[in-house]
Amino acid sequence: MANYYIPANYLIKNICDVEIIEAPFITTQTIELGNKYSPEFVCTPFKYTLGTMIECLDKGANMLLQFGGGCRYGYYSELQEQILKDLGYKFELVNLITAGKINIKKIYKIIKKIDKNFKVSKGLYYLYITVNMIKYMDKIDDYIRQNIGFEVEKNSFNNLLKEMLEKFKTVNNPIQLYILYKIYFKKFKKIKINKPKNCLKVGIIGELYTLMEPFSNYFLEKELASFNIEIKRFTNVNYLLFDNKKIVNKALKKSKKYMKYKMCADSSTNVYWAKYLGINKYDGIIHIKSSFCTPEIGVMPILDKIANDYNIPIIYFSFDANTSEVGIKTRLEAFYDMLEMRRK
Amino acid sequence: MNCYLGVDIGSISTKGVIIDENNNIITSAYIWTEGNPVNAVKNLIEILKKDLNSKYIVKGIGTTGSARKLIGLLLNANIVKNEIMAHAVGTLALYPDVKTILEIGGQDSKIILLNNGIITDYAMNTLCAAGTGSFLSSQAKRLNINIEDFGSLALKSTNPVKIAARCTVFAESDLIHKAQVGYKKEDIVAGLCKSIVLNYLNNVGKGKKIKSPVIFQGGVSKNIGVLKYFKEILNTDVIVDPNSHLMGALGIAILAKKNKTNNIYDLNIKNIDFLTKANECKGCSNNCEILKIYKDDKLIDIWGNRCDRYIKN
Amino acid sequence: MKIGIPKALYYYYFFDKWRYFFEELNIELISTNTDKKILEFGNKYANSEMCLSLKIFLGHIAYLKDKCDYILIPKIDNFGLNEQMCSNFSSLYDLVNNLFDVKILTYEINHQKKKNEKKGLFSIGLQLGFTKKQLKKAYQIACLKYHKQLKRDMMINFNKLESTKKKILIVAHSYNIHDDYIGKTIIKNLEKYNFEIIYSDLFNAKNLSHYLSLNLYWKYCKESLGAIVLCKEKVDGIIFITTFPCGLDSLVNELVMRKIQLPYLNLIIDDLDALAGIETRIESFADIIEQN
Repeated sequence: MANYYIPANYLIKNICDVEIIEAPFITTQTIELGNKYSPEFVCTPFKYTLGTMIECLDKGANMLLQFGGGCRYGYYSELQEQILKDLGYKFELVNLITAGKINIKKIYKIIKKIDKNFKVSKGLYYLYITVNMIKYMDKIDDYIRQNIGFEVEKNSFNNLLKEMLEKFKTVNNPIQLYILYKIYFKKFKKIKINKPKNCLKVGIIGELYTLMEPFSNYFLEKELASFNIEIKRFTNVNYLLFDNKKIVNKALKKSKKYMKYKMCADSSTNVYWAKYLGINKYDGIIHIKSSFCTPEIGVMPILDKIANDYNIPIIYFSFDANTSEVGIKTRLEAFYDMLEMRRK
Repeated sequence: MNCYLGVDIGSISTKGVIIDENNNIITSAYIWTEGNPVNAVKNLIEILKKDLNSKYIVKGIGTTGSARKLIGLLLNANIVKNEIMAHAVGTLALYPDVKTILEIGGQDSKIILLNNGIITDYAMNTLCAAGTGSFLSSQAKRLNINIEDFGSLALKSTNPVKIAARCTVFAESDLIHKAQVGYKKEDIVAGLCKSIVLNYLNNVGKGKKIKSPVIFQGGVSKNIGVLKYFKEILNTDVIVDPNSHLMGALGIAILAKKNKTNNIYDLNIKNIDFLTKANECKGCSNNCEILKIYKDDKLIDIWGNRCDRYIKN
Repeated sequence: MKIGIPKALYYYYFFDKWRYFFEELNIELISTNTDKKILEFGNKYANSEMCLSLKIFLGHIAYLKDKCDYILIPKIDNFGLNEQMCSNFSSLYDLVNNLFDVKILTYEINHQKKKNEKKGLFSIGLQLGFTKKQLKKAYQIACLKYHKQLKRDMMINFNKLESTKKKILIVAHSYNIHDDYIGKTIIKNLEKYNFEIIYSDLFNAKNLSHYLSLNLYWKYCKESLGAIVLCKEKVDGIIFITTFPCGLDSLVNELVMRKIQLPYLNLIIDDLDALAGIETRIESFADIIEQN
């Protein structure tokens, strides 16, 4: 997903001696492959990950790692394994999360199997670096998202980001990483932007895979930035792995009017975020998900109500492997026009 | 005198309007796109020019509809906008107090809510072509009915059949079944009209507060059967303007007027050689289809690339 | 006092016990069968992407909202770590609370957090002004009667496996098999043929499910799969019934169909009027079974 493969590869590379086949970037070919072998109304991330797996296996991988938990994600691997085996591939698929909990014993066993010289202390050390790397990346991403639409020189943000990630790959202690992060944050802040004080502000919420994998949302954020809109997105890996519980509890406390119980996957936090965007006078909410995402479909009526109560327009996108890109662009453009008109 | 041209190029039809400084329509035209927007627009302009007095000079051109970008280049338009905005502006010019615009076109359907002349909310169909004009006409063909007679036939029915219309595939199999069982044709047709309305309200109109005055536009608005069920189910009057098909073109003409510069536009485009060449980029396995637009053999724009690689080459 | 119970989703798992429980407390329960009207209501309130079963549920709520004092909607999260529920079950309460203006009785089932049905029903009882003693008695009687009835139903279902007729196993969630509009229509169609019809939800076999799927963590899917493992030697064919677009079935049924050797029919039900084509499909499936 997006740039997160960098910390993941970093961790694996440093704790055990294996050759990593990097998952190729998702392309139309990936989607076609995934679509071809997936059941009909499974949600889109299933199709994307299946396509990626096939591409990795074709490149010679013999072990696939997958993290999946919550709603349907947790069950993906078993069916995908069956589908791939039916296709004749030979490999080992390891899902590192069972029933929503990270399975530490299993991970330890697997690492031992791959590399007999593995030491726990070394593993923890690099895990610590990786966790920090993700945290820093998310902080930088957040800054980029708010400002990339206003960059004076095209691609200045993306080029600097690329440069930073390359440097991240080579760090070997936490202090070095921290210093790098500080240096680059300053550099990012120095990038020239031309941002009016009262620019349009839009919040993006929804289902996490679609939010975080730019290919699956047809580069929606890039498109929004081209309209000179400041973007707020809450979902990132940091939220997913470390802050989840805290935010869900906060969400339940702060939006009692709209919900009493915790709901599946990220639905509860989305309700809270929608309310947050309403209270903080954002101009609009964009809700994106893959088609057939049950938890998100279940809260859409609640989001509608919030949008109505706070008088903030909300637009929904359901992405599928067959979604037409032109259709999305037209709808986004119209959404932007509407927000502009409402400002006047 | 100054005048402004608005062109709305849809998948099925192409519409053009020329207005004066006070938004009055000087002349208008409506022709089939027939899969070739460039030719359609060339023909359209020729028709419009015939009725245009030589005292007028064109001070602004706007394009909207699905081929807006391409035609925008062809005509050198000073504004290119999506059809939602154009329809809202066009309708507001004729009905300043409109609150709701329902639209069902050939490929898509939408709803626009307005308050005091400002768009406050809108939605478009998400699922598929179910309940749009192209679905209706393919079903009409299946039932061997002329699409023009569809509405009047529906009015004859007293007992419309219920048809599942959430998805084209389901609807079609259900329709075939109902026909095989021996329902009367008018009841099936009426059922289809009703199901389109229900589908629209449950889908596009879900959660939207529909307030009158309500205006119904798009190709399907010419179908009096569908109109009848809209009135019945919404329990309010629904207006269909005789010029409703021109709203998009009118709207974009008005927007072109608002956006005018000092440029003067030339409508002699008949002999411009306008060419789109497509080829696949081999840069990565995305294989983006790159469209290159040539005007009189000069490359003027490139579309379709997801990354910047192609431009560099 | 009247309490409305929508005849959809959780109804089919809990109603029998609730009936005895509230009977003891002299509370009248109201519910109705799914019909065209209910579905129309459902379509009005539901989001177009919701699954048919959830639409039917919302239709029932719309029907009940002016006919009773309260509507009972539990939030069901899980019955233990590896016995999760479909995500819809955990958002029902809040969904209804936001969509409708009704009074709702609710409790949470979350065995991981030690919240079970007994505690929930007691909290509702206390809220309605009953004493602990009354509730204890009512709950005991309800459990007794319910288990007796369940045992009898399961016996009948189990004994069908020994029948000499051709046997067909229906695999679906209880709320689809027993719904008057979905499952019952299909079963009525099947009754034309001389088959023994066996239901996947009337077995106590969820422990067997791991023979088909190791990682499965949905309670009701486990029960269905357990039933398949238990019956696969004895039945002649399987009919899967899925409401479009059920998230769990889309994965689990696909996996099962890849693994079993029996003839099967996969029926996906969308809008109910589309049941039209199903008659033909059942007919041809019946032919296959007869010929084997």
